[in-house]
Amino acid sequence: MASSAQAAIRTSGLSKRYRKVTALSEATISVPEGRISALIGPNGAGKTTLLRLLAGLARPTGGDVAVLGARPGQDPAFLAGIGFLAQEIPLYQRFTAEDHLGIGAHLNSRWDGDSARRRLDGLSIPLGQKVGTLSGGQRAQLALALTLAKRPRLLLLDEPVAALDPLARRQFLAHLAEAVADGGLTVVLSSHLVADLERTCDHLILLAASQVQLCGDIDTVLAEHQVLVGPRKDTTAIERDHTLVHAVRTARQVTLLIRRGGPVVDPAFEASDVGLEELVLGYMGQHASPAPARLTMIGEEQ
Amino acid sequence: MTWLVWRQHRNQAYFAAAALALLAVALLVTGRDMASQYHSALASCAASHSCGNLGDSLILGSTPLTLLVGFTVVVPCLLGVFWGGPLVARELETGTSQFAWLQGVSRRRWLTAQVGWVLLAAAAWGGAVSGLVTWWSSPQNALKHQNFQPGQFDIQGIVPIGYALFAVALGIAAGALIRRTLPAMAVTLGVFTLLRLVIGQDFRSHYLTPLTSTFSFLHPPAVPKGSYWLVSSGVVGPHGQVPGVSSHGGPGISFGGVHLPIGHLPSACQALVFQGPARFGSCLAAQGYRAVINYQPAGRYWAFQGIETGIFVLLAAALIAVTAIVVIRRDA
Repeated sequence: MASSAQAAIRTSGLSKRYRKVTALSEATISVPEGRISALIGPNGAGKTTLLRLLAGLARPTGGDVAVLGARPGQDPAFLAGIGFLAQEIPLYQRFTAEDHLGIGAHLNSRWDGDSARRRLDGLSIPLGQKVGTLSGGQRAQLALALTLAKRPRLLLLDEPVAALDPLARRQFLAHLAEAVADGGLTVVLSSHLVADLERTCDHLILLAASQVQLCGDIDTVLAEHQVLVGPRKDTTAIERDHTLVHAVRTARQVTLLIRRGGPVVDPAFEASDVGLEELVLGYMGQHASPAPARLTMIGEEQ
Repeated sequence: MTWLVWRQHRNQAYFAAAALALLAVALLVTGRDMASQYHSALASCAASHSCGNLGDSLILGSTPLTLLVGFTVVVPCLLGVFWGGPLVARELETGTSQFAWLQGVSRRRWLTAQVGWVLLAAAAWGGAVSGLVTWWSSPQNALKHQNFQPGQFDIQGIVPIGYALFAVALGIAAGALIRRTLPAMAVTLGVFTLLRLVIGQDFRSHYLTPLTSTFSFLHPPAVPKGSYWLVSSGVVGPHGQVPGVSSHGGPGISFGGVHLPIGHLPSACQALVFQGPARFGSCLAAQGYRAVINYQPAGRYWAFQGIETGIFVLLAAALIAVTAIVVIRRDA
């Protein structure tokens, strides 16, 4: 894992419990500055909780967290560095885009309203119209423009494209990539649309069952894993040398997703590289209830 | 922040300003008429030395206007429900708190500005309505000495400001705790009404120990001067206080403004009830009965206004403190 750059986010044992439910358990992650990190996990895995903890919107019940070198809080210095865009895109429905630009200009010491206006003009989003009457895509674009106008150093995006149609989604991600290319920005982007993330992101945080499964550069993480296909036989030898993530057994053969502990030497197995989607499904399948459809997924793609 | 507060609440402010303007016009026009009516009646009765019973002969103000003025008792509650209730609750309910609280302003400053301006507006509106009502009622107050009475006490002077501050603080706190707008508004309505009733009926008369005055039934009772508040009245017999003494309720008879619980009076006198106050009174006096009244003298009016306002302002301060803790410490 690359650790030369300073970490924009560093947590250790970060946990959040709500009365009886553990939303996030012992999360230890590190995101270097300048990365676009994909936060992936099934619904209820704790993605939103993690992002809210990082933004200071929720308080952890355990562990440590440092964001941009500080503990998430409510002081203007911390808030100035954070851009947060929630799933529900909460804007004031009866305010216009212009009103929101006004709020931003009045409440932030550093505010780039001109670039936000240019961005909105480019998308022909009407500034004088009530936000409640805009389309979902326009609202998401407005919210992104408002978030970027703060000129944050860390952008936390919680499924911002979930409600968008494919075209709006592509536009949104293109604008995001553009903003990152301008430099100095670290992004954590949660979604369960792995294809979108694969195109945009270079870092990965994989959550399942409230726990961090993987965290690191996507290339490094993929290189650490391998898919093995072989005859249906005893796999204890493989499990001794490698970490078995997920196995699919059919009548004749077995497909294994492993985290490599060294070179694969068993000639009975055919080793191949793993894609992001396969990897994600493998880790999700590990924690999912054993539904047949889910279990055959990896095998089907072979 | 001021910009945001004004942008968010300006429609409410316009509406409230319009309502206040309508009330002001109605009260200023009719109040001037009433004042001139009162002064000319005062001048003519002074000429004929008959001002003693002006209160019985002169009737001021129309019924709808009197009702309207009485209705201003709900103004603080309306402010609490419509200004206080949604203030924090709507932000939490619609999630806009996530937008507002991640701009470059701490939640403490956000809350200070929102709460500060709304409380200021509540005090201004409460004070303006109360000022108008107090001025409008001044001839009535002079004529009937009624401004210490429950009902009038609650809509005049400075107490409406205390009620308005409390109601709005209650709405804000309920919203911060419940995090839903409509339930917060309903709780504000219920708790405010209940507390006002309880304090008005059970606590207010005890702010200062009432004065007691006893007098013989042989003469018309020497009632206190000015706008005193009769807390309770009754009868002291040869064996002490006659039970069932109260300023309201129970079968009884009014003797010169003093309520007598008739069932507990000597049976010899009960028969004389309808034969005029003189014979009835002398019967009671002969049996050793005396009338007693407990009252708050007119001179304590502003002390009571101050105490009641203080209580509600302190309650408001406590609720704002709770709100601050909840908003700053709880998850957004």
